[in-house]
Amino acid sequence: MIQAAHVGIGISGMEGMQAVMASDFAIAQFRFLTDLLLVHGRWSYLRICKVVMYFFYKNLTFTLTQFWFTFRTGFSGQRFYDDWFQSLYNVFFTALPVIVLGLFEKDVSASLSKRYPELYREGIRNSFFKWRVVAVWATSAVYQSLVCYLFVTTSSFGAINSSGKIFGLWDVSTLVFTCLVIAVNVRILLMSNSITRWHYITVGGSILAWLVFAFVYCGITTSRDRNENVYFVIYVLMSTFYFYFTLLLVPAVSLLGDFIYQGVERWFFPYDYQIVQEIHRHESDATKADHLEIENELTPQEARSYAISQLPRELSKHTGFAFDSPGYESFFASQLGVYAPQKAWDVARRASMRSRPKVPKK
Amino acid sequence: MSSNTASSSGGSGDSSAARKNSKRPKYSKFTQQELPACKPILTPGWVISTFLIVSVIFIPLGVISLFASQDVVEIVDRYDNDCIPAPARTNKVAFIQGDAPKACNRTLTVTKRMKQPIYVYYQLDNFYQNHRRYVKSRSDSQLRSPKFENQISACKPEDDAGGQPIVPCGLIAWSLFNDTYTLSRNNTPLAVNKKDIAWKSDKEHKFGNKVFPKNFQKGNLTGGATLNPDIPLSEQEDLIVWMRTAALPTFRKLYGKIETDLDNGDTIQVTLQNNYNTYSFSGKKKLVLSTTSWLGGKNDFLGIAYLTVGGICFFLALAFTIMYLVKPRRLGDPSYLSWNRNPGGGR
Repeated sequence: MIQAAHVGIGISGMEGMQAVMASDFAIAQFRFLTDLLLVHGRWSYLRICKVVMYFFYKNLTFTLTQFWFTFRTGFSGQRFYDDWFQSLYNVFFTALPVIVLGLFEKDVSASLSKRYPELYREGIRNSFFKWRVVAVWATSAVYQSLVCYLFVTTSSFGAINSSGKIFGLWDVSTLVFTCLVIAVNVRILLMSNSITRWHYITVGGSILAWLVFAFVYCGITTSRDRNENVYFVIYVLMSTFYFYFTLLLVPAVSLLGDFIYQGVERWFFPYDYQIVQEIHRHESDATKADHLEIENELTPQEARSYAISQLPRELSKHTGFAFDSPGYESFFASQLGVYAPQKAWDVARRASMRSRPKVPKK
Repeated sequence: MSSNTASSSGGSGDSSAARKNSKRPKYSKFTQQELPACKPILTPGWVISTFLIVSVIFIPLGVISLFASQDVVEIVDRYDNDCIPAPARTNKVAFIQGDAPKACNRTLTVTKRMKQPIYVYYQLDNFYQNHRRYVKSRSDSQLRSPKFENQISACKPEDDAGGQPIVPCGLIAWSLFNDTYTLSRNNTPLAVNKKDIAWKSDKEHKFGNKVFPKNFQKGNLTGGATLNPDIPLSEQEDLIVWMRTAALPTFRKLYGKIETDLDNGDTIQVTLQNNYNTYSFSGKKKLVLSTTSWLGGKNDFLGIAYLTVGGICFFLALAFTIMYLVKPRRLGDPSYLSWNRNPGGGR
């Protein structure tokens, strides 16, 4: 009997549900095991690695821009972004795309995963979550934060439109925040192997949500005693050509580094799944063929055996549970109304017990 | 009995009565993860064409931006050291805090024709308007409306004078820049228009037109300029410009604009009052005259950045082309699979 394992997979069936109850994963047929491991297990590993790496990357990028700012504030601890922008960054403006990535990311299709079972080795070798991978993502975060911060702060010195007026701290920081949200969201599209329309909806929707929130939040004043730092900032920003020029430049430069890295890596150091993708790049998505064949039509042989099984036959008293013996005392059988016949010696034993007090017999 | 238990415990595909009622979940593309998807592969074609497209878009944008910035004419004059008379230069802080006359004359030469409007800025270096305690030392509700005059909690230590609230309160208003500049060209005065130097949103919404300065600069320490108590805050444009705190310790703020053209070779005489104390923290003060273009003042950064990135992308397109030719790899070559390259080992 297995006493310890990394993962327990139980198969429910004629022997009952005890294995299922004791297992981490439960499947219905033994042949589903290939799908569980080679398809869903592999995808799950890939997705978890990408989601975790992306989370750290987006927060690192965001926080590092503030870190670079502290060098220029006399280390006084002045925040770069408005409080609400900062708080909602992880809640509204960058949350949904990574969820969609975690749900739908597929490096190769299900049928290819089963055709190349050696792809499973990438998980065994931990090739998507090694320190090397983490270092690459961290470098990318540092680079992107530097680009977003330096490009905007350097280019916003002095007048920024023909009226000669000057930006303040909150204008600059809102511009950096906008560039950052765009860069970090579009990064999802760069790192996805399979981009569904939900990816587009969530990436576009997150950027739109940021803009809508900025429009609303920058347009209100309250009577509370609070610093209305970003009042009207987004409208001031959008009234300058400079804003649009910067919005095109900064996310493009931020993502350029990752793009170059991916191009070089795919060419010189490809992962196995990338080679498999290339081998099968011209094949269209055969969706129905990925299904496990669970048809309801019976083949002639199966129809015959089904008909034979429908003939009147001796009903088995086995309940399907281990150690539940129908010949003696069966709890599950008695639940179903099947009682074992009384044994002669048992009847005699119980009859002789009538006058004795109830003493435990061990 | 056995068939009952078998169908309740087994999944679909059981080879008896269970086939009649399948437990298969309802099919949908979303739950079965079969949504139509775009599966991009970064083939050499895509990489090179992306780089080329980026360079084709960025290089003209860079040229446009750089031309816009190069068209701007800018004159910068640092005056904080020279405007202290020589005998007082050993103790500048004492001079600036004392009662000696602070008038100073400077001469600027125009090297290229400047078309109006020409913007006059003062630039401060090493002045941390982005310091945390400085930035929070203001009361925006007080600035908007006289009803909230007493909302001064964030303004310490410049919140009240003898029990009465200061309007506008806080360190930002208290440290208002107070150097003044009078310009003349060939002995005729040049008018400097000090209207419309602040952002319209600030003037109309952030600073109320019913709020008047009260108890301002009445303490022991004078931090900067005084304000005329008869002019509402929405028209005190110097204050409005100053209170839009700058992002970096080196910043410019708009002082006014000149609405006549300046020709090449003109000499501008500036009579300035060197009132503001930047000497206690080694700050610098500069006077800037600048024209603007549609993209703003003289800042080559955007143009150079676009050109550089466009150029780098073009160079990368060439480099990648050479790389793909020199070290070709057939797309989808199974010999690159790790189990074919080194069986048993791999990446």
